[in-house]
Amino acid sequence: MKQSKMNRRHFIKQSTLLSIGGLLIPSIFLSACRKETLFEDINYDGKVLIIGAGAAGLYAAYILKSKGINFQILEASPTYGGRLGKLTNFANFPIDLGAQWLHGKNSILADLIQKSNTKISLDNSEVKYWFNNQLINSLPQSIEIFEGDGLPDISYKDYAIQKGLGNEYKFIVENIAGDQGAVASRLSVLYNNIEEENWNSGDDDFKFQETYFDLIDNQIASQVKDKITQNTIVSKIDYSQTNIVVTDSNNNTYTADKLIITVPITVLKTNDIQFIPALPSEKTVAFSKIGMDAGMKVFMKFSNKFFDQNIIGGSICAAYADDSVGKAVDDNVLLAFVMGEQAEYLTSLGNDTAISTALLQELDTMYNGQATTSFIASHVQNWTTNPFIKGAYSYSTVGMGNARQIAAQSVNDKLFFAGEAMNVNGHHQTVQGAVETGYREVINVLNSIKK
Amino acid sequence: MKNCIAIFGLFFVWNNLKAQEFKADFSYKYIYANQWDKAIQTYNFSRPFITEKQPLIIHGLNASVSYIFKSQKKIKHGINLSYSYFRSSSDNENLVNVLNLHFLNLGYLLHYENAERLKGFYSDLIISATSSGLFRNVNGEPFVYDESKSKALGIGGNISLKAGYQLMIKGKTYLSPFIAIDYTPYFYSPNTEAVINQTKGLTSKNWTPILTTQVGLTFHIKNIE
Repeated sequence: MKQSKMNRRHFIKQSTLLSIGGLLIPSIFLSACRKETLFEDINYDGKVLIIGAGAAGLYAAYILKSKGINFQILEASPTYGGRLGKLTNFANFPIDLGAQWLHGKNSILADLIQKSNTKISLDNSEVKYWFNNQLINSLPQSIEIFEGDGLPDISYKDYAIQKGLGNEYKFIVENIAGDQGAVASRLSVLYNNIEEENWNSGDDDFKFQETYFDLIDNQIASQVKDKITQNTIVSKIDYSQTNIVVTDSNNNTYTADKLIITVPITVLKTNDIQFIPALPSEKTVAFSKIGMDAGMKVFMKFSNKFFDQNIIGGSICAAYADDSVGKAVDDNVLLAFVMGEQAEYLTSLGNDTAISTALLQELDTMYNGQATTSFIASHVQNWTTNPFIKGAYSYSTVGMGNARQIAAQSVNDKLFFAGEAMNVNGHHQTVQGAVETGYREVINVLNSIKK
Repeated sequence: MKNCIAIFGLFFVWNNLKAQEFKADFSYKYIYANQWDKAIQTYNFSRPFITEKQPLIIHGLNASVSYIFKSQKKIKHGINLSYSYFRSSSDNENLVNVLNLHFLNLGYLLHYENAERLKGFYSDLIISATSSGLFRNVNGEPFVYDESKSKALGIGGNISLKAGYQLMIKGKTYLSPFIAIDYTPYFYSPNTEAVINQTKGLTSKNWTPILTTQVGLTFHIKNIE
């Protein structure tokens, strides 16, 4: 009996220990197997070529560098940053020539801002509307009509008319479309709304005390600058052989195993780059369905601040904004944020003086001639005439369907497409959206290697 | 508030008297949810600027209470309520990022105990509905954007198998070490990647299977007649 009791005790002890060990040991083992990062042990000795040193290209390079992968960036222009740029010595604060608002706080760049202790502030500046030839605080009719269920695939312009927003709302609607980088007659109510529903970064807009360009320059570009080959206009991409051969306009060639293409959608649409073999037709059709219209920023400096913080609804420029909002110091700089048909019109005037004169005339109408009398200087940043950009940013056209998803797909596990227009998660048009595609395509490149 | 506590206390005592057994568990819990791993792995991969990586959500604590109804059968049934907490924290200069994950399960329990053949041993099979809340804290504060907290709520169904061995402490009270394994085949938490990596559908899915294991102690109060 004693023996039996001992056996049972022994059995219980053993089985308890075995059971606990049986769960704990696999758990500890599994914990060790679970890696903290993707591709933790990747060892790739091939070369990745990146075309374009905008936010997407720079971020892709930054990730590749962190993984110890050989890469090179080919940049057409003599600078880097893409649609980011900085103007100093115009006002007593630095000016963003391109992207300048951080849209939402829930993003990878917001983490970078936090980590780098970059100063940003919420832009809650007040809005006035130029409506029926007068400046008013609020519109008589709600313009919140472009969101919700059951929206049709027609343009903003047509939908606004359908919903009873008459001609007096024309430039108010142009401003809404212009915010999306589009002309109201080309932007799809349906597809823009579908893409907006995917947006999850937050609706607040933030401004940089310094500039957006500084953030990307100091935190990202500085890490990969030495790998940028500037003034290199890519004219041909031959991916017919094992190695990809890229030829520039001076007939220099560059070879690579993988290629990340980050050029603006306009460059892909206008066939500035010849692909050998030609890209699949469904891809080129997809490119053609993604919109990107004209866009420019005109900075006007005045001797006094006669203007409001935001003026919406002008017929020459639908959106003016006080550029000193969010800056450490004040200056009388008004930004004319000109998009779509208005940017096309101002571009057609032919020179910067004519552009600022047209804008001053409009501001004189709004503010009883104060613009011209207090005008000091202007700076025109026309992204449309930049041959390597050719517009503002991408938007959803009528009939676009899933063009963005098709455009973003890789070709033969060799060509990978990044850039704001290739963001399929609703973050297109933004720097953070471009950054997301930059690291997304590095993930795709590394997945293709694993295959 | 005092009245609520008193009513709850009376309800607890009354139910305990009516019950065959009342159990309270405390355990260490290991979790494996591959889509959430993927979101954290993407977070770490895409942010070379952080030196201390965000740890995967692996280790947590669990507390649960079970109420087994009176029955003469070998297999008895009851209800189980459990709460688990997991945390992942990375400490980088200016960016202390913490993910707090909470689970709450409410389930139906089948309790098997054969005093004659397997004295002291018991096993529980629990089928439960499970819900979760994932929250992000940055630099000690809840991460807020657009005036609301960053959060991901989730829901799913869970099956759990538990085995333990009871040691009598005194009278009706017992203590038992136990082990358990839980499986959630489909746990729907669509906003998880948005909380972890601030993206949506970039690298992970809206749902994940979850596997957990537990090792812990149970405190039993038995009303054996």
